[in-house]
Amino acid sequence: MAGIYLHIPFCVRKCAYCDFVSFAEGSVPEVYVDALISEIELVSSGGEYPAAFDTVFFGGGTPSLLSGEQMQRIMTSLKAHFDIRAEAECSMEVNPGTATLEKLVAYRAAGINRLSIGLQSTHDALLNSIGRIHTFDQFLDTLKHARTAGFTNINVDLMHGLPGQTLNQYLDSLKTVCDLGLQHISAYSLILEEHTPLYSRVQSGSVALPDEDLVADMQDAGIDYLVERGYHRYEISNFSLDGFECRHNLNYWHNGEYLGFGIAAHAAVRQKRWTRYANVDTLAEYYRLLAREKRPLAETIQLTPRDEMFECIMLGLRLTRGMDRAAFRARFGLDTAEAYPVAMERLRKRGWVVENETQIALNRKGLDLQNEALGFFM
Amino acid sequence: MAYPNELIRNFSIIAHIDHGKSTLADRMMVLTDTVAQRDMSEQLLDSMDIERERGITIKSSAVRMFYTHTDGKRYMFNLIDTPGHVDFNYEVSRALAACEGAVLVVDATQGIEAQTLANVYLAVDGGLAVVPVINKIDLPSAEPERTAQEIEDIIGIEAHDAPKISAKSGLNVDQVLAAVVSTVPPPVGDPEAPLTALVFDCFYDNYKGALTYVRVFDGTVKPGMRIRSMASGHEFEVTEVGVFTPSPMSVEELTAGEVGYIAASIKSVAETKVGDTITSAEHPAIKPLPGYKQANPMVFCGIYPADGAQYGDLRDALDKLKLNDASLSYDQETSSALGSGFRCGFLGLLHMEIIQERLEREFDLDLVTTAPSVIYRVILTSGEERQIDNPSNLPPVTEIELLEEPVVKATIMTPSEYVGSLMELCQERRGIFVDMNYIEESRVRLHYVLPLNEIIYDFFDQLKSRSRGYASFDYELKGYEKSDLVKVDFLLNGDICDALSTIVHRDRAYAKGRAVAEKLCEVIPRQQFEIPIQAAIGGKIIARETVRAVRKDVLAKCYGGDITRKKKLLEKQKEGKKRMRQVGNVSLPSDAFMSVLRIN
Repeated sequence: MAGIYLHIPFCVRKCAYCDFVSFAEGSVPEVYVDALISEIELVSSGGEYPAAFDTVFFGGGTPSLLSGEQMQRIMTSLKAHFDIRAEAECSMEVNPGTATLEKLVAYRAAGINRLSIGLQSTHDALLNSIGRIHTFDQFLDTLKHARTAGFTNINVDLMHGLPGQTLNQYLDSLKTVCDLGLQHISAYSLILEEHTPLYSRVQSGSVALPDEDLVADMQDAGIDYLVERGYHRYEISNFSLDGFECRHNLNYWHNGEYLGFGIAAHAAVRQKRWTRYANVDTLAEYYRLLAREKRPLAETIQLTPRDEMFECIMLGLRLTRGMDRAAFRARFGLDTAEAYPVAMERLRKRGWVVENETQIALNRKGLDLQNEALGFFM
Repeated sequence: MAYPNELIRNFSIIAHIDHGKSTLADRMMVLTDTVAQRDMSEQLLDSMDIERERGITIKSSAVRMFYTHTDGKRYMFNLIDTPGHVDFNYEVSRALAACEGAVLVVDATQGIEAQTLANVYLAVDGGLAVVPVINKIDLPSAEPERTAQEIEDIIGIEAHDAPKISAKSGLNVDQVLAAVVSTVPPPVGDPEAPLTALVFDCFYDNYKGALTYVRVFDGTVKPGMRIRSMASGHEFEVTEVGVFTPSPMSVEELTAGEVGYIAASIKSVAETKVGDTITSAEHPAIKPLPGYKQANPMVFCGIYPADGAQYGDLRDALDKLKLNDASLSYDQETSSALGSGFRCGFLGLLHMEIIQERLEREFDLDLVTTAPSVIYRVILTSGEERQIDNPSNLPPVTEIELLEEPVVKATIMTPSEYVGSLMELCQERRGIFVDMNYIEESRVRLHYVLPLNEIIYDFFDQLKSRSRGYASFDYELKGYEKSDLVKVDFLLNGDICDALSTIVHRDRAYAKGRAVAEKLCEVIPRQQFEIPIQAAIGGKIIARETVRAVRKDVLAKCYGGDITRKKKLLEKQKEGKKRMRQVGNVSLPSDAFMSVLRIN
């Protein structure tokens, strides 16, 4: 398995909680699309990368600010320079209020076959409080257009722990979304990041977030509800109908290889060592380096086998089915429990781990306290 | 060759913080060619980073300048820079005792402020000539005439002809130099009489060793002489004498009237104390200069390395600081919660803060400090008497016959409109009213007897905030008085945490216990299990709070393949955990130990 990530760092407006690299623009500048394509050409002509790719993912920012034509150009370039498998999962994030039926038809024609729609909540007042640009009705329009355009694999993002949100409001959002018959639901708790408008508002006391216990109640009740409605929890925050897990994200959690294009994009490839790349995070620098036919890299990290091993644990233990022991053994030549005897013992003592012949996984309690569990392995 | 006394002027500068003391000193040094303009760094006399950053002077320093007056004569100026905080009151009084005059700098935009007053009175009481100077007249909001009137009204010295200057631009600073010559009297002293030299500070120089800052009153001191400390009786041989230019420069001798330093085979500063009189071993003076007293630490706290492995580094750092700071004391102590560390004694709260900050900054140590305490005196039923500088060492109530705490005589000077709220403050702090009188129509002097443990933490801040910064405060130890005190212990998950124990008056014990337990509940992060927090007097629980167990500790989302970011977050979290203190099976953040203070 291998994937390709493309970052589209533009939004109509930045949301109050967001600390991703993104700039306020009504559309994606042509020069950025040109730069993306030159980066694709540059990488394909040079480095070491996987022979074929199983997934493509457009993240942001707001990828649905791309015009149909821009999407077509990027996908054509990708297919021309890399071996993208015929059955590849090609996802993009969509923001309600930015995707017309025409655009969605064009995305589909360009090869996109999975959408991830950022809804966050079905309550307009909550959407407004976190600076979303859309209403719930606009989301319904987007969903209708997406289905008309032929999309049959659709995810919706929801959040809990929003300012002023009640448990009932959250469960109501979940119910409404489940009734829409989607294939996949991501249910995240809001993370208050420093250097965001929401952070300053919380610090100054003008906005109050629900307390820790209420957020935990929301998460617990949400998991139970989604499972009851037939969505299985395959990762800490991700739920899907059988067969509709997000393959692109699964590849991250299996610590697989992926390329990243665009500013602030990341990549991981197997060279002599397991190597991670991070692109520069300013447009000026990105354009400047590409104009000189240089890869726009900010950082290259070569990992030791031990660090690589820890990453496999850190990522693999996010999945409810956990680590695949055979895959770990094939990659490192020893079993997970042999590599981390002390950590495993501590997990067992806490009663957070489930082990069988093929898998090592955290149980529900262990997943709740995954940071603590990972501390044992550090 | 002794410099003629009539051409010497010894003075210091008194000013409120930010009124321009250091700028004026800098400007004088440039004007007298003591330092070249290009070598000037701001606050030249404040050599420590902390002094420059906080804009305060902690150590005294001295600089010699030569000024050619309009009468054509060349005058020797010895400027002694003094600390300005109540903690260092004794140092200030000794530095002033080394002078014949003081330049009083008042900001023309602010007028006289409270902190200045205590020092001005100290100068006036010591018989010093005061040279008023009105600064910052270049600012649009300056009111020089009003300021002059205020100086006359409040301090009672003639000020209408006072130099009106801008230390920043240098405007009229020459008038200050001229006023020093005309107003400050020259020193009187007999170079042939037996040596008496007043020690007003000590400093450890990496090259020259211990330097003792002195003002010579009578006699002459030069290398090779045997000198004697009149306080301790110890004798030393002088290896060098010198003056500050402002860097130390050796000279042949220091004679009556002069200011400078003595380097002797003194092992550490601890052997010469501020206020001591140095005399000749061969021809000793009959009696020492007046005013010496032993500066005893008044405030104690535990200082522990955050990482137990740094204990040795902490000891070395304290050893080094002690070289420059005779008033710092420390003894090894062990806490069941904090491991090995030191019980340190300080002159006051600012002194304590400064030492902590220097340990952390200059020696790169991560510290855990416990709440400050005073020394309590306990008479046991057995008749034995004990000094308790650490609350956790207080014997059980059943063994205590009598408990005494230190009390101070406090003098507060304030504009009359704040009297009511300041009296309330003293009342809240168990103060006993002594008297009150009007210095003039709008200024009041209050006398109170206050328990020291009520003023060591935030009394000064409270005083300032209740008087908009106008009240000044000064205190001296009165002695020990019997008091109904109890020890409040705090239990975490059933175990007493010795580093949190505190001694309070019985009337306050319940309120204090409740408030601290609530505060601890806030600062202790949720852990894998529920943690009961209890406050107890003896075996009796007086308050209880609970830190609930953590339910979720997980990163919600992956960021477009940015695995490194996630890993960094985990590492940060782990780092944070490492800095926690393990008390039984409870993890405590380092600042929890100070939180017993930050309550109202």
